[in-house]
Amino acid sequence: MQINVRPVARLRGDRPLNVAAALGPVFDALAGSAADLATLRVVCDWIQYRENFAAPVRCRPVLAERPEQSAERPVPVAGLELAIDLRRSDEADLAASVRAALAGCAGGADDRLYLEPWTPTSTSCIWRFNTLYWQALSRWEQFTGREYEQALPGGQSDARNAEVARELIGELFRVWDELEARRALPEQLYIVELGVGNGGQARTWLDTFADLDQRHGRDYYRRLHYLMGDYSAHVLDRAWQAVAHHGEHVSTLVLDATRPLRTLGFLHGKAFFVYISNVYDNLPTDEVASIDGRPYLVQARAYLDRSQAAEIARRNTIEIGQVGVLTDRLLRLGPDLLAETSPDLFPDPGRAVSLWRDVWTALRLTERYVPLEGIDTYQVAPKLTGEVLRPLLEGGGDIRMHVSNGALASFADTLPLLHPFGRLICHDLFLTEPGQYRAGFHGPGKYDGSVVNWVNGPLLQLTGNRRGFDVRIAPFSGRPSANIRTLTAQVRD
Amino acid sequence: MTQPTAGVPAQSMPDWPLPTAVVGSYSVPEWLERLKTDYYQRRISAQHLNDIHDVAIKAALKDQELAGLDIVSDGELRRDNDIDYLLARIPGVDIPHRAKSDYFDYYDAEVTRPLPEPDDTTAGLAEDFAFTAAHTDRPVKFSLTGPFSLSRRIRANSAYADEADLIRALARWLNAQARDLFAAGARLLQIDEPFLAGYPEAADLAIEAVNIVTADVPATWALHVCYGNRYARPLWEGHYDFLFPAVLAADIDQLVLEFARKGPGDLKLFRQHDWDRRLGLGVIDVKTPEVESADVVATRIRRALEFIPAERLVINPDCGLRHLPADSARAKLRALVAGAAAVRAELADG
Repeated sequence: MQINVRPVARLRGDRPLNVAAALGPVFDALAGSAADLATLRVVCDWIQYRENFAAPVRCRPVLAERPEQSAERPVPVAGLELAIDLRRSDEADLAASVRAALAGCAGGADDRLYLEPWTPTSTSCIWRFNTLYWQALSRWEQFTGREYEQALPGGQSDARNAEVARELIGELFRVWDELEARRALPEQLYIVELGVGNGGQARTWLDTFADLDQRHGRDYYRRLHYLMGDYSAHVLDRAWQAVAHHGEHVSTLVLDATRPLRTLGFLHGKAFFVYISNVYDNLPTDEVASIDGRPYLVQARAYLDRSQAAEIARRNTIEIGQVGVLTDRLLRLGPDLLAETSPDLFPDPGRAVSLWRDVWTALRLTERYVPLEGIDTYQVAPKLTGEVLRPLLEGGGDIRMHVSNGALASFADTLPLLHPFGRLICHDLFLTEPGQYRAGFHGPGKYDGSVVNWVNGPLLQLTGNRRGFDVRIAPFSGRPSANIRTLTAQVRD
Repeated sequence: MTQPTAGVPAQSMPDWPLPTAVVGSYSVPEWLERLKTDYYQRRISAQHLNDIHDVAIKAALKDQELAGLDIVSDGELRRDNDIDYLLARIPGVDIPHRAKSDYFDYYDAEVTRPLPEPDDTTAGLAEDFAFTAAHTDRPVKFSLTGPFSLSRRIRANSAYADEADLIRALARWLNAQARDLFAAGARLLQIDEPFLAGYPEAADLAIEAVNIVTADVPATWALHVCYGNRYARPLWEGHYDFLFPAVLAADIDQLVLEFARKGPGDLKLFRQHDWDRRLGLGVIDVKTPEVESADVVATRIRRALEFIPAERLVINPDCGLRHLPADSARAKLRALVAGAAAVRAELADG
């Protein structure tokens, strides 16, 4: 049996984690079980997100073959992984939880209401909830009585930092002055922001730019075009209000953050600065794992504990049998249309938001490992096969990591926008080395109504490098002690 | 010097109008990239990698033959990139760290003492040519990255006070390789200067160095100048006017330039400057996998015919095909050949 304790930093210090005490009941339960202990892995995490998708104890089967190859018979299992959240190990009867988890894995009694079939994590319905959150943000905020920025750990977006903006604009002026001296500076100077939030970043940046340009005296502001891209028209409208005083220098574009070239193809090679803040950690991602040298894709399945489903039904005056169906309709229609089409159940959108919040709060994921028949057969992003994962997965030993598919697709599709002297700057939750996946939990968690995962920084670096870009990740100068980091990409060679 | 290889087919330039050719590199499959990197990670041996290159080159030749090209190449599949294949073989060029995390990365090369004058030691290029020529019945083009571009990738030069002397020394080494290649039967040699467009002020020096490379090697010489293709991105923008009048003094038979991506604007330069030699006309954009139709290729050729007569046009892609997926590369070559054939037929019909 393998025991894997990931939150190693918590094993030391003033209040070290007592893993032995936590694992005692686990071993007791295992001793009394019929599980094949020789192939069992016990993985201990510390899930830092108060709101998350994990039960304190989860059992994840490691499949011996792909399920579609054995549709007519039970999928053979090569081993089991028992995942313990050490943060919550004293919240429940751990031994009972282990016994229940093992029984569930063995096909025993199942007290869950599933909301979807098995699927790669990136296509789980948790991302439909995430999309709904951004599309119906105003309804959510109405219901909760607070704006989304207040839900962020720092209470506001990291984008709104004038000192950082001043630094970047100063560097931009230096490059532009040099190009101007060689008569190589284009007439139109394009800046792109992907994921605009409430417009705070754009406002800070543009106000700072106009001020610095006046002092610099080159009249760059006259030539400046600031393009704000977001997939939510509502968010763009609100952000526009924040920069309305910059009038014709600003344009807003509805776009898919994972495929910016589709909308911004006309900017190919022309953007001097692409700014992305806290977008990547909110884009769909799969997780892959290397177990005993074999690559696996993590599949997930969203569910509600049946007892919680019953409570949700009671609170929202619906039948428990309606919870799944109405949740699906909510995700398709949003709260306004759901209320319009089912006024008997939801007399106003607020009632639909109530269901939404209840289901979201109770939503959990169960997981399993499905073998990949060659890492290259797994499509990481359009035009990017799993081959790019190989150096990270084959670094030695077992590892499970995020693929950051959405972030990677966005990143790879954004790089072509850059002018040869352009820069992409991205503030986000980046891991900086693959080894960090062995020493901590990096998502998914819940931020208010959205999903958050740390971004696989080394994978973005590899991908950028293979496209001829120098990609660096450094502490965020605006808040050096924060988890947020700054990724910078620019052409090399 | 290597002796001419028995059984190697005639290597002369085809004598029909609008012959078709590649510029040099061919699509590099992802699996080959992985294996090349595996070599640097010491997962496979040099011997296995050489065997893999042999097989990949035969497949690339077959693709080119099936597409109907008149002049083929080894796809430069043995080369990590356009620079290292040569720099790593030049005596006196030091490469302190030969490990790479990715095969396509450039070495960091330096020159700390003057390069020794070339001797009879073979650098292996002739052997590589001979292998290719032995596996096709078509004439084979062999490319050498030019001395100016090689010098741009030498990060530290403490041996030559004047950078031009380093370029001349590199040119002399390349000349020795060209002689070796000619002796092995190579007749279609090409000098690639992918970095020259970024240094237009260096055109005279670059051409002086080209003439050192071609000296006393009676092959058909081409000079390829593009705007960069590393990672399928142009490194610079601009116009070919910087080549003139310097290039008129080059001892070459053909200029190979890109026109598909850049458009035909610079074709007028050849009339303005009375260019009386061949032009390798780029009719395929190698920076996009989108496949041009044969009609588009034919239109591009017809446009060029307004400036250069058919007997002095060679039809080729803008640059190497290395960054294109194999399907796209094959389809583009088929379109190139079909477009050229259509125009050739029109010319034959008068």
